[in-house]
Amino acid sequence: METTTIREAKTFVDEVAAEPGGEKINECIQCGVCSGSCPTVEWWEYPPRKIIAMIRAGKRDKVLSSTSAFNCVTCYLCTVRCPRGIKPSQLIHAVEAIAEREGYKPKTPTLTLHRGLRDSMKRGRIWELSVAMRFYFKTSLLEGLRMMPVAWDLISRGLMPVFPPKKVKGSQEVTAIMKAVTSMQKSGGVK
Amino acid sequence: MRQYTYFPGCAMESTGKPIQTSLDSVTKVLDIELKELEDWTCCGCPGESINELAATAIATRNLALAEKTHLDMVVPCSCCYRNLLAAHVTYTQDPRIREQVKKALGVVNIEYKGTLRIRNLVDVFINDIGLDVIASKVQKKLTGLKIANYYGCHQSRPYGPDDFEFPVWQDQIVESLGGESVFFPLKAQCCGGTQLFSNKDMIYKLLYNILDNVELHGGQCISSTLCPLCFTNLDANQGRIKNRDGKKFTMPVMALTQLMGIAFGLKPKEVGLDKNISPALKALEPYLKVTV
Repeated sequence: METTTIREAKTFVDEVAAEPGGEKINECIQCGVCSGSCPTVEWWEYPPRKIIAMIRAGKRDKVLSSTSAFNCVTCYLCTVRCPRGIKPSQLIHAVEAIAEREGYKPKTPTLTLHRGLRDSMKRGRIWELSVAMRFYFKTSLLEGLRMMPVAWDLISRGLMPVFPPKKVKGSQEVTAIMKAVTSMQKSGGVK
Repeated sequence: MRQYTYFPGCAMESTGKPIQTSLDSVTKVLDIELKELEDWTCCGCPGESINELAATAIATRNLALAEKTHLDMVVPCSCCYRNLLAAHVTYTQDPRIREQVKKALGVVNIEYKGTLRIRNLVDVFINDIGLDVIASKVQKKLTGLKIANYYGCHQSRPYGPDDFEFPVWQDQIVESLGGESVFFPLKAQCCGGTQLFSNKDMIYKLLYNILDNVELHGGQCISSTLCPLCFTNLDANQGRIKNRDGKKFTMPVMALTQLMGIAFGLKPKEVGLDKNISPALKALEPYLKVTV
């Protein structure tokens, strides 16, 4: 059994609490409404309630290397139901953010997808086809081929443009804002 | 004529084209003018899962631009709506995040005061236009059509203003068009969003649940929220999901505004119905001829 010292436990819970969305973690009463509400909970190795318990017990590596948090589809059912107003969906995103930033490698292609989506914002407007292609090249070409019938239905109707959307003036501003955010996050203090 | 600032969102220029077409036509009938926000960019939603601060900052840039128009901003895409509204709420209520966002936006000399009102289109239909006006525009009553209204998550969660778990506004609109709205418990269940790419089995299960639930409660078609993500997930993936009888689903899926357009007597092309992948046009064919 993995044991953690009180100091380690305190450090991890504070770390999550410092992340946007993690602020209220200490107010959780472990009622389990979040896990019970979650439409994808059967795919989670550790359901949301358990993740909160594990964070408070300092199980840092176990939480951050698990694929669990990446199954969150951000539907907010837990958030509107939580009797303590914790916003579990945002708390789960905080876990995802720490895992991504620190280079943990949970075995799920969703992390690659999230990274691709985040980086695609830099060009100002999203170009779906390029996000999809990049994703399948990085994860599984076979999966990409399997999705071809759906993609073709969309492409043939002009619903998935093969050319990138026009660059708007704001694109440069978005790139600059993202750069500023990243450098603030890197310099520590602000997350 | 009512005027609004309009934030289409990236997907309205691709998978959401049929919705955009119908929305243009229907707003014209209802005397609504949507003025597209100049120089809008991605709402920030795609970055939310792993970098909430970046998502908030990029959203706030759009809010700051829209604020200068002094009009309410209408957002049809649920994901954009939720992320922009979330940014507004965080920015105005959380001083810690506000300072960081201010700093990031300072780099490009943009400042948000926090006065913008962000609304979804269904809210506008119900509260600004009104059901009586919508009913008065109907030329082809959708009598006898059993319509299941699918809301998805973000149109009413987590900020409302419709009910969080069992929203009703789309049902009310559909009934004012003469259709029969069918209750099904999963009306605001998640469609799976972008994880369709990375977690296909899980998302197909979610989509199966919704489609199966509609069939079970006797829905003949789905009138979907105006979110291009929900609409496309339901519309384009049915050929890959099997129903209880082991056959592929063939549930007609259309956006709410497409349905409204047909009831207002518009032609299928004017509401983008030629672009739906599911047999939506076929389901509405009987209503193309009848007039009230």
